[in-house]
Amino acid sequence: MSPVVLEAPPLVRRANGRGVPPRPPTGGGDDDGREPAPRRPRLDNVRLAMMFFLGAETMFFAGLVSAFLVLRLAAPLWPPPLQPRLPVAATGLNTLVLLTSSVAMIAAMRARRGRNRAGLVRRLGLTALLGALFLAVQGYEWAQLLHYGLTLSSGAYGATFYTLIGIHAAHVLGALAWVGVTLGLAARGRFLDGPAGPLRACAIYWHFVVALWPVLYVAVYLA
Amino acid sequence: MLDWWLPENVSTYGRDIDRLFHLIYWITGITAILVFVTMLVFLVMYKDRPGRRARYTHGNTTLEIVWTVVPSLILVILTFLSVPAWSRIKMQAPPPSDFVVQVTAKQFNWQVTYPGADGKFGTADDKTLLDEMHVPANKVVHVHLRSQDVIHSFFVPQFRMKQDAVPGREIVQWFEATKPGKYELPCAELCGFGHSGMKGWIHVHTADDYRKWAAENLTAAADPPAAGDKKAEEPTRDTTVAATTGGQAKR
Amino acid sequence: MSATTATAHARTAHDHHELGFVRTYIFSTDHKMIARQFLFLGLIMMVLGGLLALIVRWQLAWPETAVPGMSLVLRETGGILEPSTYNMAFTMHATIMIFFVIMPILAGAFGNFCIPLMIGARDMAFPLLNMLSYWVTATAGVIMLSGFFVEGGHAAAGWTSYAPLSSVAAYTGVNWGQNLWCISLFVMGIGSMMGSINYITTIINMRAPGMSLFRMPLVVWSLFITAVLLLLALPVLTSGVAMLLFDRTLGTSWFHPSGGGEPLLWQHLFWYFGHPEVYILILPAMGIASEILPVFARKPIFGYHAMAFSMIAIAFLSWIVYGHHMFVSGMNPSLGMAFMVSTMIIAVPSAIKTFNWLGTLWGGRIQFKVPMLFALGFVSMFVIGGLSGIFMASTPVDIYIQDTYFIVAHIHYVVFGGSIFGAFAAIYFWFPKMFGRMTNPALGHLHFWGTLIFFNMTFFPMHIIGVGGQMRRIYNPMQYEFLQHQQHWNVFMTYGALLLGLMQLPFVINFFWSLFAGRKAPLNPWNSTTLEWTAPSPPPHLNWGPTLPTVYRGPYEYSDPEAADDFLPQTQAPARAGARAH
Ligand code: HEA
Ligand code: HEA
Ligand code: CUA
Ligand SMILES: [Cu+2]
Repeated sequence: MSPVVLEAPPLVRRANGRGVPPRPPTGGGDDDGREPAPRRPRLDNVRLAMMFFLGAETMFFAGLVSAFLVLRLAAPLWPPPLQPRLPVAATGLNTLVLLTSSVAMIAAMRARRGRNRAGLVRRLGLTALLGALFLAVQGYEWAQLLHYGLTLSSGAYGATFYTLIGIHAAHVLGALAWVGVTLGLAARGRFLDGPAGPLRACAIYWHFVVALWPVLYVAVYLA
Repeated sequence: MLDWWLPENVSTYGRDIDRLFHLIYWITGITAILVFVTMLVFLVMYKDRPGRRARYTHGNTTLEIVWTVVPSLILVILTFLSVPAWSRIKMQAPPPSDFVVQVTAKQFNWQVTYPGADGKFGTADDKTLLDEMHVPANKVVHVHLRSQDVIHSFFVPQFRMKQDAVPGREIVQWFEATKPGKYELPCAELCGFGHSGMKGWIHVHTADDYRKWAAENLTAAADPPAAGDKKAEEPTRDTTVAATTGGQAKR
Repeated sequence: MSATTATAHARTAHDHHELGFVRTYIFSTDHKMIARQFLFLGLIMMVLGGLLALIVRWQLAWPETAVPGMSLVLRETGGILEPSTYNMAFTMHATIMIFFVIMPILAGAFGNFCIPLMIGARDMAFPLLNMLSYWVTATAGVIMLSGFFVEGGHAAAGWTSYAPLSSVAAYTGVNWGQNLWCISLFVMGIGSMMGSINYITTIINMRAPGMSLFRMPLVVWSLFITAVLLLLALPVLTSGVAMLLFDRTLGTSWFHPSGGGEPLLWQHLFWYFGHPEVYILILPAMGIASEILPVFARKPIFGYHAMAFSMIAIAFLSWIVYGHHMFVSGMNPSLGMAFMVSTMIIAVPSAIKTFNWLGTLWGGRIQFKVPMLFALGFVSMFVIGGLSGIFMASTPVDIYIQDTYFIVAHIHYVVFGGSIFGAFAAIYFWFPKMFGRMTNPALGHLHFWGTLIFFNMTFFPMHIIGVGGQMRRIYNPMQYEFLQHQQHWNVFMTYGALLLGLMQLPFVINFFWSLFAGRKAPLNPWNSTTLEWTAPSPPPHLNWGPTLPTVYRGPYEYSDPEAADDFLPQTQAPARAGARAH
């Protein structure tokens, strides 16, 4: 069953949010007394919902990161003695990989605006590829660290590291799957002249998980 | 005045708490009565009668300002009145005293350690009693509170004293009992299936009674009853005194 | 993102007959059906949560005697509770009541039912997501219940599950119970996030023409604010239970001092969620009361804007008061001071609301219908519960009453006297619209008076024994000499609780009897002004015919002298141009 999404009343729907921003709502806005007129939402449902979704995600990571900082600042020595150091340089490069994937996503969106299906598919593919590469490198690093004896149970150091990075990785994985599905739909010509809501939502989420990473990198690896 | 079901208070700062308690009784009591009486009056006066039409009003700014400002004032005043007691009991460094006991909570006992003759902890002549604490009256007592396993809470109703014992920290609390007697020391924070019934007794003696008791029980001769427990205490031994400032335990 | 309202029109009414049974009653995307599903989930869970409470009460009154009926469950002890069983009982009582009774009923059921109908939308912005949010929540419920059947019993560390008690299986002897508790709340968090995103988007984007923000009924305001709190607060709990679960299962040490962890960290995370949570529980009830009082006082709400803004103020303040749960936890005392100040301040918006409710009654034409009775009950019980909060807000006093039954009394006056009374009021008020039938007033009155009287009989003495020093979460008060003289209160309260439970039966009977045999409900049984009463009862799929209602005025236009009738529906076009704003 395809999601039936009911938009606000007639006249409201614009071609999905492209071009000039819509006029601020009239009637339905906060001007009491004036004759009711159809409202024009500032943001279409999908983008609005994504905004709030990211708000929730942010609070989730805020919880994790602040918890990490509490332990980190309490510890006299960080990283604790006899614990392997984190691969700062390699991960730095990996960070660049992830950031590039965001660029690829932006390009993909531009391709869609240009009604360029091949380009859209190719660039979404590139995004996914870079994301996958990032995960692969992270996975390799984990294998190394485990081999050097840094485990979940080796104190706050290991615990916080694997929890934070792991949960972010899980998010990237999820976003990756989402891009995959979107890519499939794009290949079948969706989004080009139909509504592009799902595609845009996917892009927004991708940018979010990417933007999240530098924060974690600075907090966990550098700080 | 009447005690409003409060148990007898036998500590110095307990009075401050009770005074605030009664003040809030009056504030909230009067507020409640005002609210309920007004409500009942309205319900009776304005119950639906044929032929009467309800008053058509959307509010009254002056009224609304009044009942915003008045409670705010009451609450601000209440806050200011609460500050001194709080800072005396928890915030400021406790009044100086040479009487220090170490209380280490564990599932499901209070281990009360006395420094012994040398006045230092962690030395051979420490004495550890189980679920039992003896202190002189009218003397400031410092309690160095620790926990071996989970969070417990050191609660002495008659002293109006409560402080959680948190593993990995040492929290310094104080009290000054004013009346000799035998007071229950329950644990007030859920700490497992033995939480209910985890309790000790605080014996408050007169000065010389206490000296007698100490001579009999805290001298090197008397063998430590709960020595086994002191071993288990090691993990928290190296924690720096985080005092009541809630600082992190360093290790 | 497919169907425009154009197609929506095509799909009106006849459409949902084409849907099969499953699509109509089980995997329905219709907000009204989802609302009913949430309501039933909540009510059924309420029986369970309540029965657990009665077990707790029995043990407190007649310690270590066999609880009637429990011998079937606790065979080895012949129905006598053990301490660990007792801890499990109140832990699950609270967990179920808060997460699977109040939240599903107030936020879930009435959020889903009221929002689209009262802002003039055909459905939620994302019906499919809406359906998912229900089924995810239901799954969480099943996971939570499954904990009762695992080895070692269910979680027994209190609904607050303080670490390290909760994070090391050895300390409680509970193993999978606590894990399932974490997993269930994790899943529940996801479900409520879906719901709240949906609510917020719908309210912002899908209001009918003319439904400006300040023409929205206050219950919609309250649900909007609740949704925002849900959206931002629950993820913090989610991150917390994730860490707790890792500590328990993967050997991390977030909360273990031995591994460099910090026990108080859990409390900070939990209460950073926990305090907004308690306002999540009360705000919808406040909205419901603000909705019902004007209808049965036949009078506009007193100070509409003050009502809306005070709720917004509560929402903002609720983020900076959470430390009042940790005054004696070992948290830095000067922080405690700061939290005392903010906690005192947060009482002010509630004061404004209370007095505005009174103002609404002033000069009204009060009709004592059942929803009104429960709304009035809500106001008075909430005032008592709120006022007891002031005692705890004062840090020195809280030193003494923290973790005593005074807190338990506070809890129940706000959550039962507040949220549950609000929920009952809402059920009686919207039942005609929800199920198309009227409830039985006689049974309703019986239910109200019984609940009000026995509720106070059950919970008021808790203040007394709390002040007397009785700790909460204790298995047997008789183990303490300083508590023995007040044991008679415990017996008294238990009788109260049993009768309170009994007095819920009229409700159950009324509910199911009316469901099938109640008098058919007219379009607008209470002569109310808001939009939902312009839709058929029960409203069809997509709520209204081809055209959506248009809104010309505020939601509480009762007894306008210039109007012939004593109420002006929001949809009624003004006689002269330039209608008066509410
Ligand atoms: C619906 C839920 C709900 C609500 C609305 C509230 C509302 C308030 N709560 Fe409560 N609270 C809980 C649910 C709730 N609480 C729960 C579940 C716990 C226990 C958690 C646990 O440990 O298990 C708790 C615990 C709790 C504590 C911690 C106690 C402790 O463990 O030591 C404190 C301390 O400050 C507190 C304070 C308050 C205050 C000041 C309000 C205020 O918002 C109340 C404001 C309302 C009024 C004040 C009444 C109306 C106003 C007037 C009539 C005007 C005149 C008033 C004056 C001039 C004073 N609450
Ligand atoms: C929503 C919140 C809520 C509700 C409604 C209740 C309701 C009740 N609670 Fe509870 N309670 C809490 C939230 C709640 N409680 C919390 C948060 C705690 C703290 C836990 C902790 O310390 O961790 C607590 C703790 C708590 C304690 C303290 C335990 C302890 O500290 O040792 C006690 C003791 O008396 C108690 C009793 C009761 C009783 C007698 C009821 C009664 O009101 C119950 C009456 C209801 C029934 C008997 C159910 C019957 C209903 C029906 C049959 C209708 C169903 C309808 C249909 C099927 C259509 N509760
Ligand atoms: Cu120790 Cu409760
Ligand atoms: Cu709170």
